Amino acid sequence: MSVARTTADRPAPLRRRRAGRRQELFWGAVFLAPVLVSLVVLRIVPAVGAITSSLYKAFPGGIIPATYAGLANYRSLFADPGFNATIVRTIVFNLIINPAQILVALLVAVLLVQRIPLVGLWRTLMFVPVTIPIVGSCIAWGAALNPEGPVNAIISALGGDPQPFFTSPGQALASIMVIASWIGIGYWMLFLVSGLQAIPEELYDAAKIDRAGPVRTFLSITIPMLRRPLLFVLVADTVANFVLFVPVQLLTGGGPQSSTTLLMFEAYRTSFAYGSRNLGAAQVVLLTAIMLFFVLLQFRLLREEGESS
Amino acid sequence: MTTVQPDVAVAAPAAGGSRRQVGSRPMVTAVLTAVAVLVAVAFILPALWILVGSFRPTEDILSSMSPLTWQLFVPTEVTLDNYSRLLLDSGFSRALLNSAFVCIASVLIGLLVSAMAAYTLAVYRFPGRNIVFALVVISFMVPFEAIAIPLSQQFITWGLGNTLIGLILPGIGNGLAVFNLRQYFLGIPASYREAAMLDGASEPRILFGLYLRISGPALTNSAVLIFLGQWTAYLWPLLVISNTRLQLAPVALASTFGERSADYGQNFAGTVLLALVPAISMLVLQRFFGRLSLTSGEK
Repeated sequence: MSVARTTADRPAPLRRRRAGRRQELFWGAVFLAPVLVSLVVLRIVPAVGAITSSLYKAFPGGIIPATYAGLANYRSLFADPGFNATIVRTIVFNLIINPAQILVALLVAVLLVQRIPLVGLWRTLMFVPVTIPIVGSCIAWGAALNPEGPVNAIISALGGDPQPFFTSPGQALASIMVIASWIGIGYWMLFLVSGLQAIPEELYDAAKIDRAGPVRTFLSITIPMLRRPLLFVLVADTVANFVLFVPVQLLTGGGPQSSTTLLMFEAYRTSFAYGSRNLGAAQVVLLTAIMLFFVLLQFRLLREEGESS
Repeated sequence: MTTVQPDVAVAAPAAGGSRRQVGSRPMVTAVLTAVAVLVAVAFILPALWILVGSFRPTEDILSSMSPLTWQLFVPTEVTLDNYSRLLLDSGFSRALLNSAFVCIASVLIGLLVSAMAAYTLAVYRFPGRNIVFALVVISFMVPFEAIAIPLSQQFITWGLGNTLIGLILPGIGNGLAVFNLRQYFLGIPASYREAAMLDGASEPRILFGLYLRISGPALTNSAVLIFLGQWTAYLWPLLVISNTRLQLAPVALASTFGERSADYGQNFAGTVLLALVPAISMLVLQRFFGRLSLTSGEK
């Protein structure tokens, strides 16, 4: 039924509207279908699949079908001190790296909205690491943090002692934090820069009239006005760091002495290297649950703060 | 070059919020500039090291690494040898072609799918529209990595392991692309659509002949999003591809790094080749959005 014919009809308005509505409904369904199907197939099916798979038990790589085992996988995971250490490590890693990255990104963003020469150039240079695919960044830093590499050459030139970096259980995870931050800070900085630029000028004029100092202005105007972009970057950063994978897989393989075994890598290794699909699924479920817990916590904390002010 | 940014300058909390500081303004500017330069240099140096290293022999990279001399960044010999060895002697060219194919296919299919959804969500009124919109955006913002492992096992059961379709499919649903396009479509006057309907245009005609034709910036932005997502993908191809002939460039690069960790020249050349495409895309994006202006601080 074409629109043209109905408009030609005499008692047009009502019928045209009905025909149009039906046509809209048809095309709306057709246009939405691919996205809805991919949503179901690419997101919901694997999520449900992971949850059900985590409730079954099978011999690794075996041909015998898995049998329903309830929470047995979770129980055996939590009975394993190594796995508990991985969970604690993943949480501690995120508790350090997320606030640190956002704080540095905020400081840099504040710096790069000042009236200084070539400010756009400094912003662009800080953004360059973001454009390098993470595999490339990890290769570069893997070479740079080699015990005989350029970073140690710089440390020696400044009078310090060479550091073992990835070869030491005490420094490997910190080295991964450096790599992740080199990539991430420029990215989050950009969001905060546009957040800062969106703050209305009048607020700062008012602060000036009230003779508020720079620190007071920053705490009373900039931070409250920046709450939404700050919440966004903090949540997005948290999500990104919980699933951080490439530097661990490429540079340390979870070592030395499991010091860089984060939950995402552990789930990958359990599922593929060890061939324990069901156990790996349980780890994926736990990873997602812990990540969601922290994301919801951040929403809560930052929103409550906003309501009280 | 020292463009004044009225809004930004005033928005600067530490840069003289009070009149008392007016006298010290040049001093403040000098200190802030120095800090900005230091920060920028710290961030750019590793990238510069890779770029320079890709044009020098591996022995030169190794010998210049330690102790610290000016030679760390200045090659004694400039050569294209790393690139030619990487592209001609290894499987990297094939991996680059695979990546290019997967990216282009993902962009074409992804734009089509996203535009259709965005059009529906922008133009039609139907109950639950906002819920569907929120669902689409949220579900595609949940990190793909979190479900990549179970999804890859599904894909392998469905026979999509070691196939290009298996590589393309997860890249087409991009919530941000749907979001961007919808916002853009909302800004197109409803009268355009009504006029087209009176002319007898069907809904697909209106979408493809009218909306997409005037949505250049939004389409470019979404295309770059989808393209970069696929270009930098590492975990997914690692999970679903075991056949080296089908492998994508990031995984191919990582495997050469693992095998012969001493061949830095070739590794760096691969890194530069992989970084080139995103860097150019960002420049294109910058033209549309002007956030990263190279020449001045103007917005």
